[in-house]
Amino acid sequence: MAKFETRMLAAILAVSGAIAFGSAIVSPSPALAQEGVDYCLSCHNDPALQMTLPDGESLSLYASEEMLARSAHGSQGLTCQACHSEITTYPHPEIKFNTRRELSRSYYQACQKCHSTNYDKALDSIHAEMAAAGKLEAPICTDCHGAHEIKALGEPRTHISETCGQCHASVYAEYKASVHGGALSQGNPDVPVCTDCHGVHSIADPRTPQFRVKTPELCAGCHADAELMAKYGLSAEVYDIYQLSWHGVDVSVYKARWPTIWHDSAVCTDCHGIHNIRTTLDPESTVNPARLLATCQKCHPGAGPNWTGAWTGHNSINLVRTPYLFYTKVFYEYFVKLVLWLSIIYVALQIIRSTVDRVRRSLQ
Amino acid sequence: MSAIPRSATPEHTRLVRTFQRFTLGQRWEHAILILSALVLALTGLPQKYRAHEISQQILSTPERVQLFQQIHHLAALLLILEVLYHLGNAIALLFQRRLSGDIFPSLSDFRDAWLMLKYLLFLSKEKPAFGKYNFEQKVTYWFLFFGVGIMIATGLVLWFPITATKFLPGGVIPAAKLAHSTEAIVAVAFVLIWHFYHVHVERLNLSIFTGWLTEKDMRNFHALELQMLVPGTPLAENHPQESEPGGAA
Repeated sequence: MAKFETRMLAAILAVSGAIAFGSAIVSPSPALAQEGVDYCLSCHNDPALQMTLPDGESLSLYASEEMLARSAHGSQGLTCQACHSEITTYPHPEIKFNTRRELSRSYYQACQKCHSTNYDKALDSIHAEMAAAGKLEAPICTDCHGAHEIKALGEPRTHISETCGQCHASVYAEYKASVHGGALSQGNPDVPVCTDCHGVHSIADPRTPQFRVKTPELCAGCHADAELMAKYGLSAEVYDIYQLSWHGVDVSVYKARWPTIWHDSAVCTDCHGIHNIRTTLDPESTVNPARLLATCQKCHPGAGPNWTGAWTGHNSINLVRTPYLFYTKVFYEYFVKLVLWLSIIYVALQIIRSTVDRVRRSLQ
Repeated sequence: MSAIPRSATPEHTRLVRTFQRFTLGQRWEHAILILSALVLALTGLPQKYRAHEISQQILSTPERVQLFQQIHHLAALLLILEVLYHLGNAIALLFQRRLSGDIFPSLSDFRDAWLMLKYLLFLSKEKPAFGKYNFEQKVTYWFLFFGVGIMIATGLVLWFPITATKFLPGGVIPAAKLAHSTEAIVAVAFVLIWHFYHVHVERLNLSIFTGWLTEKDMRNFHALELQMLVPGTPLAENHPQESEPGGAA
C-alpha cells in the first residue's frame, strides 16, 4: 500500500517541496510542453526526489517512464494532469496536507472523474463506512489499485487476495491454508478469491444478518454448479439438500421474511469454516468426522457422540448413509398410499351402495 | 339402559329405549383427544409447510414461530396425559378382570369385512350383523392408537433430541422428523375420510358425546350386541318391532 501511495504522492509533492521548503532540486526543461508527461518527468524521474511533510513523514516524489508505461493509465495515454489536475505548471501550487494519508484521501477523489460507478459503489462499502467513522486507514481506490502503476488487479488472479491480505493479514493466512486458497496458489482459476464472496467495490460488512442469511446462496454459486463440481468429484446437490434440512428451511424463511433479524440456524460457514474451509477429508477440517461433534456442540451444547449421526451429511436419502431415514421413507411411501386408497375406495363403495339402496327404497 | 319420553303430547307418547354405548370417562377422553389433536394439527401444519406462503403469513414473526411451538408442546402434553390415563385405566381394568374385550380384533372381524365387501359389491343383500364395535370402528381405534403412539414417540425425539441421542442412534432424529410429519398427514386424512364418513355422513352418530344409542341404531348397526343385551331380538333390520321396555340388562 505504502509503495503505491508514495509513488503517487511523489509526483505531486516534489513541486510543493520545491516551493514550500525552498529547496528546488531540479527545474523542468522549458523546451518541453508543459502539459506533457515528459515535462513532469524531467524533474520527477529521480528516485532521490522527496520531501518531508509537516508531520515528519517523508514522501518520495519519484515517478519514472517505465512505471507509467506499466500502468493501465500510462498505456492509455493519460497525462499526469488527468489526476493531478491542480498542477498545471512549474512552480507548483503549495500543498497543504499534513500527512500522507490526508494527501491520498484527497487525491483519490480524482478517480471518480472517470470511474464514477465503481467509485460510488465503494462509497457504499464497509471500507467507506469505517473511514466515515474515523478509521482513515480504511482503503481507498489507490490502496488496492496503486497510483502510478495501476494494473488490472485480476492478473494474475492471486494478486486479488494478496491485495486484500495487505491489510487483512490473518484472514489471508487462513485463506491461503484453506482448500480454496491452496488451489489458488497452484493457479486454479475455479476457486473463489476474496472478491468472489465479498464483492468488489461495494464490499459489505459480512457480520450482518443480511450477509449471514445469504451465505448458503453465495456458496451455492459454485457448489450447486454441477459441471464445476463434477470436475472435482464433489456433489452439486449439497445446496438443494441443505435447503430441505432443518437448518436450511429455517434460513430460507429468515431470508424471505426477516433478513434483518439475526438467526442462529447454521449456514455453510458455521460448520465448514469461513476462510479456513478445508476438504472434509482433511483431519483439520471442522466437519471431518474427528472434529464434527465439537462443531455441532458450538450450537448444540450437551450433544453426545451419537448426535452427529443425526446429520445426513448433505446426502440424499439412501440405505448406506441414512438407513433410518431410508426405511422410514420406504415405509411411509407404501403406508400412505395403502391407507389413503383403502379408505377412499371403501368409503366410495359405501356411498355407492347406500345411494343405490336409498333409490331402490324410494322406488318401491 | 334408560327410557326417555320423546314427545310431550301425552296421547302420542312413545318410549324410545336407549342403550349406553360410552361411559362418561370415555366421552371425556374423546373430547380431550379432539381438542389436543385439533390444536396439534393446526399448530403443526404451518410448521411442516414452513416454506409455504400461507404458513409464512401465519408464522409472521420469529416470536410467532416460537409461540406455535409452545402451544404445540402444551397440546402434546395434554395428549400424552390422555394416553397415559387411557392406558392406565385399561391396565387397572385388566387387573380387576373388568377390561372389556370388545375393542380387540378377532377372527370374526375378517369374516365381517369379507361379508361387508360382498354387500358393498352387490354380491349379497344383507349387511353382516355387528357386535358393540364393528371392524370399521376397530380399524379407526387401532389405526389412531398406533398413530398417536408414533406421533408421541417421534414428537418426543424432536422435542428432546439431545436427550434422545443419549441412548438412540443419531439417525433416528431425521427419521423421526419424517415420520412425525408424514404420520400426522396420514392420520388427519384418515380421520377426515374414514371416521367422518362413518360418524357424520353414513349416519349422524353422536353417541361419543351423548353416551347412548337408540334402539333403532342398535338394531341397524349393533344387532349382535342388542341380541346379547335383549335376548330374542331378531337380527334383520327390516322388522321394526316395539320392544318391551325393561328387557334384559
